[in-house]
Amino acid sequence: MTALTFGTVARHGRGWLPLIGLTAMVSSAVTLALPSVLGHSVDAIVAGADYGRWFTIAAALIVTGIICSLIDTFAGTACVAGTTAWLRHRLVGQVVRGGPEGSREFDTGDLVSRVSGNTSDAAQAGPAAVTTVAAMAPPIGSLVLLAVIDPWLAVAFFGGVILVVGVLFVFARRTAEISLAYQETQGRISALLTESLTGLRTIASAGTTAREERRILGFLPELHKHGLETWKVLARSGAQAAIVGPLVLVAVLAVGGLQLVDGRITAGELFAASQYAVLGAGLGGLTGVIGEIARARAGVQRAAEVFAIDSVVHGTLPLPPGPGRLTFDGVTVATADAVLLENVHLELPGGATVAVVGPSGAGKSVLASLAARLRDPSVGQVLLDGVPLPAISRQALRTAVGCAFERPTLVGTTVGDAISHDAVGPVRTLAAARATHAHDFVSRLPDGYFTPLPKAPMSGGERQRLGLARAWPAQRLLVLDDATSSLDTATEMQISKTLTEDRHRRTRLIVTHRTATAARADLVVWLDVGRVRAVGPHQELWQDASYREVFG
Amino acid sequence: MRRELRYGVEALRKRPTLKLALWSVPDILPTAIYGVAVAHATDNFLAGHAWQGIAWLGGLVATACLGAAGSHQVYGRLGDLVEPLRDDLVRRVVGGALRTGDDAAVARLNRQVEIVRDTFAGLVLVIRNFAVTLFGVLVGLLSLAPLVAAFVVPPFLVGFALSLAVLGMAADRVRASLQADEELATASGMTFGGVRDIAATGAEEFAEKLVGRPIEAQAAAERSLAKVAALRTLCFAVGGWAPLLILLAAGPWLVGRGISTGTLLGGLTYVLIGLQPALNTVMGALGDSGLRYVITLGRILDSAAPVVTPRPVDEVNGYQLRLRGLTFAYGPSADPVLEDLELTVAEGEHLVVVGPSGIGKSTLAGLVCGMLAPTSGRVLLGGVPPSEVPVERLAATRVLIPQEAYVFSGPLMENFTYLLPDATISEVTQAVEAVGAARLVERLGGFGARVRPDDLSAGERQLIALVRAYLSPAPLVVLDEATCFLDPEAERRAEEAFAARGGTLIVIAHRISSALRARRILVLDGNKAAIGNHPTLVRNSPLYRELLGHWQPGGDQIQPAS
Repeated sequence: MTALTFGTVARHGRGWLPLIGLTAMVSSAVTLALPSVLGHSVDAIVAGADYGRWFTIAAALIVTGIICSLIDTFAGTACVAGTTAWLRHRLVGQVVRGGPEGSREFDTGDLVSRVSGNTSDAAQAGPAAVTTVAAMAPPIGSLVLLAVIDPWLAVAFFGGVILVVGVLFVFARRTAEISLAYQETQGRISALLTESLTGLRTIASAGTTAREERRILGFLPELHKHGLETWKVLARSGAQAAIVGPLVLVAVLAVGGLQLVDGRITAGELFAASQYAVLGAGLGGLTGVIGEIARARAGVQRAAEVFAIDSVVHGTLPLPPGPGRLTFDGVTVATADAVLLENVHLELPGGATVAVVGPSGAGKSVLASLAARLRDPSVGQVLLDGVPLPAISRQALRTAVGCAFERPTLVGTTVGDAISHDAVGPVRTLAAARATHAHDFVSRLPDGYFTPLPKAPMSGGERQRLGLARAWPAQRLLVLDDATSSLDTATEMQISKTLTEDRHRRTRLIVTHRTATAARADLVVWLDVGRVRAVGPHQELWQDASYREVFG
Repeated sequence: MRRELRYGVEALRKRPTLKLALWSVPDILPTAIYGVAVAHATDNFLAGHAWQGIAWLGGLVATACLGAAGSHQVYGRLGDLVEPLRDDLVRRVVGGALRTGDDAAVARLNRQVEIVRDTFAGLVLVIRNFAVTLFGVLVGLLSLAPLVAAFVVPPFLVGFALSLAVLGMAADRVRASLQADEELATASGMTFGGVRDIAATGAEEFAEKLVGRPIEAQAAAERSLAKVAALRTLCFAVGGWAPLLILLAAGPWLVGRGISTGTLLGGLTYVLIGLQPALNTVMGALGDSGLRYVITLGRILDSAAPVVTPRPVDEVNGYQLRLRGLTFAYGPSADPVLEDLELTVAEGEHLVVVGPSGIGKSTLAGLVCGMLAPTSGRVLLGGVPPSEVPVERLAATRVLIPQEAYVFSGPLMENFTYLLPDATISEVTQAVEAVGAARLVERLGGFGARVRPDDLSAGERQLIALVRAYLSPAPLVVLDEATCFLDPEAERRAEEAFAARGGTLIVIAHRISSALRARRILVLDGNKAAIGNHPTLVRNSPLYRELLGHWQPGGDQIQPAS
């Protein structure tokens, strides 16, 4: 895969770019020509000669400008919208296909802002590149034309600019403090509201809603006061703009007027000069054009970092028939600054229940994620029924192996979606939900399995039950990474009973902190600081005092 | 949309609006004088009167200073209009959140209220500027040459009217675009937060589709907005360019009727420097800020306080509790949480409710306390349905302490006397002693100490809530897992204090040990229930035996979930 650059993004809209560039050029030319043409028209009117020609030119210019603006609206939007969508699809694919390790270094919120915000900035790359020169033309060109009409006009223009700077300097005041005080008061009100919302059940049952309301709104007069301050600041800058506005124009008109008196320019030229002065004042806006390119560049950069995530490569092999034998063959997992697992050799028989225990930081979750191929070892390999996991096709792997987590993230629009995405049918969803006791609470939601996820507030235990139901259909290996820790003991007991009496005889790898779970397992893998300390039945290991310590 | 506009118009209170309008008068002067000054200056320069020309331009700067004074006042008056509007919105959001429990309210308070504040101010300002410009240009043109005004103003007004018509078309598209934006953020947030889970379930294609849909919707919304933008360009052509061309076309005829060169230039200046920017700004502001104002304000108004159903019953006789055929479900198509429950709790009884988590124990507490109304069957508290008694009156009969204890930032004493504001020090001291909170009070620095909920552990917050409930005048106490973060010994002490307090005690149990302290136990199992004392239940209820089995003291089940 080639890296994402400004050029690649710009080229994606290549069908539109010539058109966008052309209309921008024509628009700029129209903008620059119009004041002169209008001036000549006026002179022609006064002179009573050649009037028709100038009027026709002026009308043609204006119509051309309108047409350019129409074309630019459609072409620009089509180009940017298309490029944005393309970038977004690609980035989402890149994150999703990169697996959990691929996007480990990115925060979720950061990724969201890259996909929703930065891509639309980046998509401006093409149009910004082709329109920059055109956008710079009017302000710079009008200064040139001003000087062409009469050099003194350009001098007057800069004199006006100096006056403006002077006025701005006089008015400059510090304004940051006021808006800070406003935001702080606002924060205080939010904090009180947040606090009351946590105690909503108490407040509602005590009938003290009105009292809480008064308490929270106690800060409102202060907010009001700070709010009025912010308007005073604005008032100052508003007054400033009203004075500064005409300064440059007046300077050019005054100097131009004197030239007119001397007969060096015509009335039409004076008018053109005044318009060029207005256009030239747009010089300050040039930073905006350059800013757009810089923003596009930054957007491309931010998108490129996501683009660079490597996709997880899956093999093409199906899985041969087998009992679900899981093998760790000399497995080491190392990151830049730590060794998480070191030289792990394990041969776990098919159909067995295997508990993984150890103090926190022992590498239990790393072992679980290796078994589910949510990450790959740095050294060694993990095999399922003799086939290395990376050689198995993605579909075969995910049909065979299921994984449930301590804190599952539910993905989908409805609760049913979150249990089963691929529409295997309500029967299998229902069977999985019943086996994991998720059905008990899902059936009581307002719309059952069709309840939208945001409308189904769930406790940690309820989420875990959905996470279990999601992993349940796995055919050969079920990995449970502390996946029942938030369940109450009665439910946990019932689920482990279902697990133990599993009709499909799947291999079960269960990371746990609970003695009871370890005691029911056929085999316990005891991990300590990244190494296998011992493997054996719970009753045997229990003789060891340091093993008992693992359970507190 | 009508509701939002009406709200905005009603926010324009008389006095500040009048002041704003009056201070706009000096603001009109520079706009009005612009073209006139250019016209007279040009004519003077043409006639060779250099100093008169310069004087006209000087006059322009002078009126600009006058206008600046006006602008200054206008912004100040704008604050008098906008700040009360913001106050009202904050009141609505806070009031609504406290009545609906909507967690999104905090974000609404910070973001949406500010958006409405800014866009409302922006709209008032832009519309005022538009009116000032239009008025100023009109005055200037009329004083310059009424004929010129007759050529310029009508097409301008037509263009403006057309752009208002386009606005209606834009509203739905802007809304669609905003919605697609939000959906994209939600779907991508969900997907990026769940990459691990997506990989583990092989749901890559599903996730791509989940985010893909809003991506396409967003692109479609942008393309359809382009059509509106094109229409706006055409409106601008009518309102901004047509007056210019008409004036030029009529130029020779006007000059023939004695209009000077300067006047013609003045007319062009009014169009290019006055009318065109004003039209551009007002079209942009209405199309962007205006729609954002309507949509955001609509969200705030929608989320305001719900209509409260009246609670007509005013008399509660005693506090005996009776449940008759009580059934409750969270929706018409949802399975019932409780079904056909029969139970009587006499005054002074001590009942414990046990069952697996999520079985409906808290729902039962809510029904008993009148927070929820039964789907069918009856709840009678003191002979009347509690869901029909005003909450303030109900608070004198029953007190509910939920699992998530409420402590607010403020003096400890105020937290204690929340339900009995005129409690005496000795009453509070006695309650603190009884519940076992004396050591906590001492640690925090006495009754006067200020507390912040974030500085307290969950258990400490529960102790404070327990003291508060103990002080409450209500004879019926419902503890809904209110002691779950206390250690078993502290829990025992608190429960015993409430049992000895007099009145009825209903404990929704977190630990089975609570059941051993009660005379009667209600076991909830699915939507079935069993009731009896400990020995009977051990004999008759398999679930009770199971719960008892796993919760033996000393077993690993009492460990907090890790």
